[in-house]
Amino acid sequence: MKNIILSAIAVAITMVSCNQKNKQEETVNSETSKPETATVKVNPTSFSIKEIVTDYLSLKNALTKDDSNATADAGKALVETLGKIDMKKLSGEQMKTYMDIADDVKEHAEHIGDNAGNIAHQREHFVLMSKDINDLIKTFGTQQKLYQDFCPMADEGKGAIWISELKDIKNPYFGSEMLTCGSVRKEF
Amino acid sequence: MQLYQPARNLGYGQDITANFTKIYNVPKNVKTILRTSCYDCHSNYTNYPWYSNIQPARFFMESHIKEGKEELNFSEYGNYSQRKQNSKLKAISKQIKLNEMPLASYTLIHKNAILSSSQKQEVMDWIEKTSDSLSSKY
Repeated sequence: MKNIILSAIAVAITMVSCNQKNKQEETVNSETSKPETATVKVNPTSFSIKEIVTDYLSLKNALTKDDSNATADAGKALVETLGKIDMKKLSGEQMKTYMDIADDVKEHAEHIGDNAGNIAHQREHFVLMSKDINDLIKTFGTQQKLYQDFCPMADEGKGAIWISELKDIKNPYFGSEMLTCGSVRKEF
Repeated sequence: MQLYQPARNLGYGQDITANFTKIYNVPKNVKTILRTSCYDCHSNYTNYPWYSNIQPARFFMESHIKEGKEELNFSEYGNYSQRKQNSKLKAISKQIKLNEMPLASYTLIHKNAILSSSQKQEVMDWIEKTSDSLSSKY
């Protein structure tokens, strides 16, 4: 038995040297798997973040209902929407700003999508996502009437904002626990 | 089966300017902790143990590293957008705080990767300081 194990190790070690080719292949693969830039057209005339905001709002509404599965679905939908945004209408500077924010939104949307059943974790990501959406609206504007709400107790007492289409407070950080906690801080 | 030896995660010809340590001014103690407890799965440089030459250990290891790098890669940190870098930084701190990382299945074998509470504090303090100075930009 000992001999078998020893020879298995010996064979394995000699095989290590055959790896050079695989390494090169991996470098090529890692390049092709870089985050893809958007190609599908959303709006033919001007750049709009409307679809992103719409998906964000349905995610937010799922959180206010404490519905972790619906939140995850909304997160996945948002990832898909982000992939379809046409950035050709943006100038260099705008594109830089957009990509900086969108990369982060995608990060949070992916995590929210992957964490059905863990609403606490989804809400953690929602803190930073809301900040991103706020900055997107600030930069690219909105046709829809939107409110920036603030809950002083969210994010472990540090306080956090969210964006809402409703004038009334419906708190996505606490849901039914404290649905009306918070206040409107700003109108867009 | 022993013949299947996928490419090693040893990052030849990498662009090191994207490295975590090039983006931030990481103090030596934090750097050492990250290298010992995180880099095996979260960078392009794995310190392979001897049994990595034996299947199926190698197979599991490679899929594990692939997953780890997809989630967070210290070697390619600079390729994330600035906001995403900041988000990742906070996420690292949270994972450590909640004992989610390093994974129990990893520290079971890599005893030296286990973080003491003072080590955890060192990393979290540094992240707190760094991410505060970053978020003030927005």
